[in-house]
Amino acid sequence: MKNARIRRRVSAVALNALIAVLAVLWLVPVFWLVISSFRAEQGAYTPYLWPKAFTFDNYIRLFTDRRLFDFPRWLGNTLFVAACSCVLTTMLTLMVAYVYSRLRFPKRRFLMNASLVLGMFPGFMSIIAIYHFMKAIGLDQTLLALILVYSGGAALNYYIAKGYFDTIPKSLDEAAILDGASNSTVFWKIILPNAKPVIATTAINAFINPIVDYIFVSVIMKDNYNNFTVAKGLYTMVDKTNIYEYYTVFCAGAVIVAIPVVLLFLRVQKYYVAGIVGGSVKG
Amino acid sequence: MKKILALLMAVCLTVAMLAGCGSAPAEPAQGATEQPAAEQPAGEPGAEKETVTLKVWADQGELELTEKLCNDFAAAHPEKEYVFEFGAVGAVDGKSRYLEDPAAAADVFLFADDQLIDLVKADALYEVTRNSDAIVAANTAGSINAASYDGVLYGYPMTSDNGYFLYYDKSVFTEDDLATLDGILAAANAAGKQVHMDVSNGWYLASFFLGNGCTLTIEDGKQIMDFNSEKGLEAAEAIREFCNDPAFVTGDDSVLTGGIGDSIACGVSGTWVSTAIQEKLGENYGCCKLPTFTCAGRQVQMGSFLGCKIYGVNSQTAYPVDAMELAEFLTSEQSQLERYEKLNYGPSNVNALASDAVSSNLALRALGEQSNYAVTQLVLGGFWVPAEAFGAELEAHTTADLQTLLDQLVEQATAG
Amino acid sequence: MHGEMKRHILADAAARGSLWTRLSFLVMGAGCIRYKQFVRGAAYLLSEVGFIFFFRDFALQYLSRFATLGTETQRKVWNEELQIFQRFPGDNSMLILLFSVLSIAVCAVFLYLWYANVRDAWRAQENAEHGCAIASFRDDLRAMRHERFHVTLLALPMLTMVLFTVLPIVFMILIAFTNFDADHQPPGNLFTWVGMSNVTDIFLGNAIKTRTFFGLLGWTIVWAILATFTNYFFGMLLAVAINSRLVKLKKVWRTCFVIAIAIPQFVSLLLISRALEPAGAINVLLMKLGVIRSPLPFLLDPTLARIVAVVVNMWIGIPYSMITFSGVLMNIPAELYESAEIDGAGPMRKFVSITLPYMFFVTAPATITTFVTNFNNFNVIYLLTAGGPFSLDYYQAGKTDLLVTWLYKLTVNRNDYSLASTIGIFIFLLVGTCSLIVYNRTGAVTKEDQFQ
Repeated sequence: MKNARIRRRVSAVALNALIAVLAVLWLVPVFWLVISSFRAEQGAYTPYLWPKAFTFDNYIRLFTDRRLFDFPRWLGNTLFVAACSCVLTTMLTLMVAYVYSRLRFPKRRFLMNASLVLGMFPGFMSIIAIYHFMKAIGLDQTLLALILVYSGGAALNYYIAKGYFDTIPKSLDEAAILDGASNSTVFWKIILPNAKPVIATTAINAFINPIVDYIFVSVIMKDNYNNFTVAKGLYTMVDKTNIYEYYTVFCAGAVIVAIPVVLLFLRVQKYYVAGIVGGSVKG
Repeated sequence: MKKILALLMAVCLTVAMLAGCGSAPAEPAQGATEQPAAEQPAGEPGAEKETVTLKVWADQGELELTEKLCNDFAAAHPEKEYVFEFGAVGAVDGKSRYLEDPAAAADVFLFADDQLIDLVKADALYEVTRNSDAIVAANTAGSINAASYDGVLYGYPMTSDNGYFLYYDKSVFTEDDLATLDGILAAANAAGKQVHMDVSNGWYLASFFLGNGCTLTIEDGKQIMDFNSEKGLEAAEAIREFCNDPAFVTGDDSVLTGGIGDSIACGVSGTWVSTAIQEKLGENYGCCKLPTFTCAGRQVQMGSFLGCKIYGVNSQTAYPVDAMELAEFLTSEQSQLERYEKLNYGPSNVNALASDAVSSNLALRALGEQSNYAVTQLVLGGFWVPAEAFGAELEAHTTADLQTLLDQLVEQATAG
Repeated sequence: MHGEMKRHILADAAARGSLWTRLSFLVMGAGCIRYKQFVRGAAYLLSEVGFIFFFRDFALQYLSRFATLGTETQRKVWNEELQIFQRFPGDNSMLILLFSVLSIAVCAVFLYLWYANVRDAWRAQENAEHGCAIASFRDDLRAMRHERFHVTLLALPMLTMVLFTVLPIVFMILIAFTNFDADHQPPGNLFTWVGMSNVTDIFLGNAIKTRTFFGLLGWTIVWAILATFTNYFFGMLLAVAINSRLVKLKKVWRTCFVIAIAIPQFVSLLLISRALEPAGAINVLLMKLGVIRSPLPFLLDPTLARIVAVVVNMWIGIPYSMITFSGVLMNIPAELYESAEIDGAGPMRKFVSITLPYMFFVTAPATITTFVTNFNNFNVIYLLTAGGPFSLDYYQAGKTDLLVTWLYKLTVNRNDYSLASTIGIFIFLLVGTCSLIVYNRTGAVTKEDQFQ
């Protein structure tokens, strides 16, 4: 009995230690980023590991030195695009997911399969064509175009949301329909209120995507630096001519960008898990 | 269902129609119309001032100065109303960003001279036909040569500093050490420090080959090179030797700027890092031409490329004459001097180059020394990736047969 | 059967339709308006007017040149007065191709509308003749909210899908049959149809391209398997470990891993790739600790670079799979364990016979998606190694390049659009078919109706 308790103790300590080591491993790059953002010496590379001096200047420069890199403006652009595309994408995704989960109509299976296959297509290959469509309607190099681009694929990513809707008992909507409700009412009044976790998941993904994307924004915005998002803008700080002077500022910018993403993730972590796995779990 | 579809369709069609109507006249794609893309400059007296909109590209760091120069240009031409737009595209990306969408690219854009041939092939540039004699006379022969193809001048040279030389820490080397690569390596090893060169970059890699008499040229739009000759093999052996030296370190410019004065004693790069290195080294800041290296038992001077940044006028521009005048203004002696003062760019203008400020600049002087051993960059886009692959093999201390690697390099770089 | 009915309706309407129904063949919406379906009729009419303008002012100029993709090159003419070689625009092959695709799509939709318009007119006429009620606008609105609710909801998503995915894909597929490359760049030059030569080039004609393609395909498959497997397996282990009753501070640990993935990939990968350079932080650290004498060529040696890519991908991916598996673990029905305990199963036994199979079962569909994502995992490779180290065996590619990063580089650096498109089609066919087969065979799809 005592032996078993000791063994249990040992394995508990070992397990906790292992996880702690792993967590540290995972946090090293993050730590490195934060340290670099406070480093006083300029440059992308130092032959020593620990900075010789710390400063808050990089953050101050990020927001005040708007001459070359208008970070505050780019941050504003990013939040605007992320918010709009978040709303639009979430709406579209939920609509499609509901249709495939609840409604039966001819060609349904075909549409689902087609969407699945089209979703496998690497998005950046279509971006050149999309750019010229946007240009044809006078939207090239605008934030609106960017919002549309980020929301355009929503119809293809219904998979997780549909899985979740599938787990909401069908008896709920059948009862409502018997009471004379339309499919529209079922969607708004029954399905959506019961799908908060998956709404959260979809919304977070849709919100984060514009913040971290670099490829799409490059093609759509081209040389219009006033409409850059932070990812694109920060990248210009680390090209050959700017990297020495701006690398630490870049790190500061990256930390600023990461903060809302971390907070979002932590805030809704519970929902997030439920949203991702909810659909498949109950099946 | 029909209703929705119909409504949707109507909306679609209206949008598409608007788009069609909106873009059709603006699109330069209609071959049927004989409207010239270029507008005639309005010269009638008493008429309203003509408004000319020009988009100019410059590197993010150059934008402030470029904007100022453009305003100077507008002030010097009060007969027209100039509206300027700016895009943050530097010379390095000039060609690729231009080709993404020529119609949306800047009217006056910047590129590095090795992009010239591809741009000419794509009919992207207006020939410099106005005032060309003066431009040829004002700039160095090398820069004019670099801005020309088949005897036709296609651009306005802005700088002539796109080359490389040696930066070094004076506390580590004596004058004699710097003459030969062996001397440099010996001194660095003795001091426990490193020698930096980005060998896995075709631009720097070529230095050894060019030094030993290999050539890179272009004929009929095709890359011609003989790096797999006997001389090339000798140079490759020397590079291998260099890469295997304990003092050798590779990496991009940030490794050099970060490490110099600390773990790195000297390194090869260009003028764009001079401020950073000067800051790091302080009194020990030094720069000079590249050393000689031991090649098949002989001492051979390392060669290099010397290129320039060039302003070109977009063949799609609506205002070619104004764009040309602006490009000329942006590359004038005065503009180049200002660019030197603000950004440390080495001028291509003969007078600007001879000015006291420029000729006393250490980095530019080293570049000048090295330019005696430099060639114009006659390189097509297909060269860089195989060259980088070759350099990376050597940096990874390959034991493969160098002749085979060189044959592959030449085969790849000269293919299509 | 469906088609038969269609012919029937059109033939019936032509043979036995009233004047108004027959008029619908020419003037869309006429029949509907006759039978007081004003909104519907007006919409048809409007779409016809819109289409005519669209066709005349937009589609015609592109469709008429679709066969050749343009014949007139941009010209230059010496202008003595201005002293310049003035440019006169020629045809733009790319815009001709792109807008032809768009025009054809619009024409197809219009054709369907035209058919629907005749059908509606004929039905309204039949209903009127038999004294049945004709659907009013209000009826249509109601249908939109119930019987036809799927159309209401799908209209907008489908429109975005067509515009942002389908048409670009068609465009790209067509590019593969042209010679759109660096030497044929609009607007300065034209490109034109070349048939199958790009395909034969990759698979038969050009030795180095063939070698590159199959070399990269092999590595892409190996990579996708390794990346999926490592993330799946270690993510599961980590989740099981964190969820173990022995572990304290579960939330804190999970948060640590979440923070790591919240840093945008373009930042974290840039940092990691710099740290792995010969002069980077990791080599500096290892040398200071005396583990190694000279720097390790993490990103220069092909084998090492591939291992590094897989390991870094674990750093990126494991937190995600850990979160997913944590969710699955928390959701395993307690009854399963209880009944096992009654049977006298120990903790190890429970894990092997309940936890593991359950997790495999539940995550199977997601794993397929992960596999495809990894097959096209652009970010990790491009931002970490950029495909390097470049190889002399390959055409414009390196040893860690995936097919998808190769084709990206071909378009961006070499403007070799036709070759890139050919590769793109191949990736698409391969990945699309495989996932379709597997996806339709997994339980989650075939048995979907049983869950509800």
